[in-house]
Amino acid sequence: MNFKIPNFVKTNQFGLLCLVIIFICIFSFSTDGFTSRFNIYALSRVVALDIMIGLAMMVVILTGGLNLSLGALGVSAAMFGGWCMESMGIPISISIILVLAFGSFLGWINGFVTVRTGVHSFIVTLATMSIYFGFMTLLTEAEAFRKLPEIFTDFGSLKLFNKYISPLLIISVLTCFILYYVFKYTDIGRKLIAAGANPDAAELSGISVDRMFIYCHMLSGFLAALAGIMLTARIGAAIPSMAGHLGFDWLLPAFLAPVLGGTLLSGGKVTVFGTMLGAILVTLINNGLYLIDVGEFWVRFFLGMILLGAVLLDRAREYFTVKNSIVS
Amino acid sequence: MTDNILELKKITKNFPGVKALDNANFRLKKKSIHALLGENGAGKSTLIKIITGVYNQNEGELFLNNKAQTFNSPNEAMNSGISVVHQERNLIRRFSVGENLMLTNLPKNNLGLIDYNAVAKESKKWLDIMELDIDPNTIVSDLTVAKMQLCEIAKALSLESKILLLDEPTSSLSPQDTKNLFILLKRLVAEQDVSIVFVSHKLEEVFEICDEVTVLRDGKNACESEQITNLNRQQLVKLMIGRDEQIINSKKEMNFEDQNLLNLQSINTDLGHKDINLNLKRGEILGLYGLVGAGRTELLKCVLGLEKINSGQIFLNNKEIKIKSPKDALEKFKIGYISEDRKKEGLILMHDVLSNAGITVWSNLKKILSFLNDQIVYNKVDPYVKQLEVKTPSYQQIVSNLSGGNQQKISVAKWLASGTDILFIDEPTVGIDIKTKSYLHELIIDLSLKGTSIILITSDMPEMISLADRIITMKDFKVVGETINNHNYEQMSSSIMRNIHE
Repeated sequence: MNFKIPNFVKTNQFGLLCLVIIFICIFSFSTDGFTSRFNIYALSRVVALDIMIGLAMMVVILTGGLNLSLGALGVSAAMFGGWCMESMGIPISISIILVLAFGSFLGWINGFVTVRTGVHSFIVTLATMSIYFGFMTLLTEAEAFRKLPEIFTDFGSLKLFNKYISPLLIISVLTCFILYYVFKYTDIGRKLIAAGANPDAAELSGISVDRMFIYCHMLSGFLAALAGIMLTARIGAAIPSMAGHLGFDWLLPAFLAPVLGGTLLSGGKVTVFGTMLGAILVTLINNGLYLIDVGEFWVRFFLGMILLGAVLLDRAREYFTVKNSIVS
Repeated sequence: MTDNILELKKITKNFPGVKALDNANFRLKKKSIHALLGENGAGKSTLIKIITGVYNQNEGELFLNNKAQTFNSPNEAMNSGISVVHQERNLIRRFSVGENLMLTNLPKNNLGLIDYNAVAKESKKWLDIMELDIDPNTIVSDLTVAKMQLCEIAKALSLESKILLLDEPTSSLSPQDTKNLFILLKRLVAEQDVSIVFVSHKLEEVFEICDEVTVLRDGKNACESEQITNLNRQQLVKLMIGRDEQIINSKKEMNFEDQNLLNLQSINTDLGHKDINLNLKRGEILGLYGLVGAGRTELLKCVLGLEKINSGQIFLNNKEIKIKSPKDALEKFKIGYISEDRKKEGLILMHDVLSNAGITVWSNLKKILSFLNDQIVYNKVDPYVKQLEVKTPSYQQIVSNLSGGNQQKISVAKWLASGTDILFIDEPTVGIDIKTKSYLHELIIDLSLKGTSIILITSDMPEMISLADRIITMKDFKVVGETINNHNYEQMSSSIMRNIHE
């Protein structure tokens, strides 16, 4: 008999999907209220943000780099948005455009400095993390913007699909599809991946690697700013500490989602939907463990273990499964 | 009783979907130099990896000194006196020669700290055996390529190795260094009881130093431990490729006068090029010859805008141009560069055939909003991939899984697809099997006949003399001579070497 395993089954995403389903089953049976409307809605709001943060990190990991300033950048952009809407009274739509442009600009700084100095983006973004967060705290005097336009904050608490799903999740999923399209079906997307995989070969093949790397950082800034806006809408205010000190709270999901998803830390391979599934898995575990009531520290312990496991998986993947397609 | 130090009997090695070795035999006599030949993909490297304990065979036996033996790790093989010197350097560049030589067994003093005097003394012993005049305290990165190669061999000797496997040891050596290496190898065999397995694509070398030869073809023995004196070059080639070698007759009748296409005038660069003048004519193959380190590749990289040109001018069609980057060169001036290092600079190994072959044409093919799908790229590159007879199961195959010859074809195909007027071709046939090599030679000549102008860098003198129309010799980042090629090997090679050594 000739039984052929479909290619999809061999991919990392399939494994992730299985894990997601397994965890859903475990938590559904072992906890009360995991499948409740309230919990699923809450989950969808958190997942939406984690996906966006994961994508923002993914596009820099693509270059073989990191963006540690992700959280600080996202919060800075969100605070800028709060200032636009509350203090300046700029219409919401224009404010959002300004915020995204501002995020891209901060990303451009990361990229420009990285490319020009040749210093690893780890160091550069470690510095800009402090700089962005410091400036933001200085300018806002650590005060929150709490009187945002109602339409904006209402959007964050809107409930769709029989009140199960937050519209924020739709934005994130849509972003996934757009990014997938960009990486799979555009000239620029291919060049970004090529530059990340082997900068020397890409440069000699007529690709401007520096420019591609800067684009990646700008895209990261853009997505982080978008995540910032989403978080602002979700909690109904722009608060300097909403992503923790220096934006640290974002870093764990930012790493976990793409690495679990199958993005190579050495660059040159992106998995948009893998990152999405990775973010879903992280949120699920987080949420489920809270419901089981194992305590805050155990949750952190567990997530740390998962990150370590995911990094080991990344090493293994470099040897074995580079054979899968480059965009998935 | 036989005097075989190493014998492999009926070795079979399967990989998923491929039989890499099929009942292959190999016999290495004591104190002999044994050539292991075969095209890329014939099973040479698999055989070497079985000998060195990287792989275990599926069937067959390995005898060391007539005793059956299995190695479960490279370490076990090393401890049994088998060392391999790879094409890629395995020295730690920032360590000294002595530290590298003694690395696995660093002498320690009473306090358990490294005794550097002993390191120097001990390593000096091995350097002396090799008659190498190198101070053990020299940092490896300060050595020439040839010296590094010799240090690797010294390192292998220091492990008390009795069997040395040399994988393409001469691929980056100049003719003079090669000669010295061979003298040394012969002495090692005579004086140190060493047996050598010699892997090379250069048949001239095989005839020069080897006693016996084993040829593999498609995982089987095409010949087994044959005396080299029983074979001539033609027979050997036929054993390797299964048919006669095609001799290229490259002479083309062209008049290159007054057709300057690319012109470099008194170029000085950051890397140290001094007053370089060079002109490339339309449809010409201009050879750049020189020893490793003469600054040839570096010159082309400067022209491509990768390194800074301090003064001087570049003219294209008599108009002065400034090339800022390879992107500029490709898109504005239609100049392409086929790198000598296909693994690092030529290809993106982790990506598939289609994206590697298409990388240079994406910009031209993109539709509105930068849209580009696989089908569009496929339609463009497929004719070139077919023309070059790239052997790949599909366009989705990851390039690192292909053989070296096929990889090289892809890094050539992407530049054919880009349709450039000028191609810089850098060492196009390093580590490539004979069949692919002669194919690439034909292709280069064919390209130039169709009007592409080519600057060719190669350290392979026969290749240079059969392909180039005009040969410029470089030494120490300067142009030291220019010769019109009359395709007479004796005359040309002596005139080029004179240029270098004067």
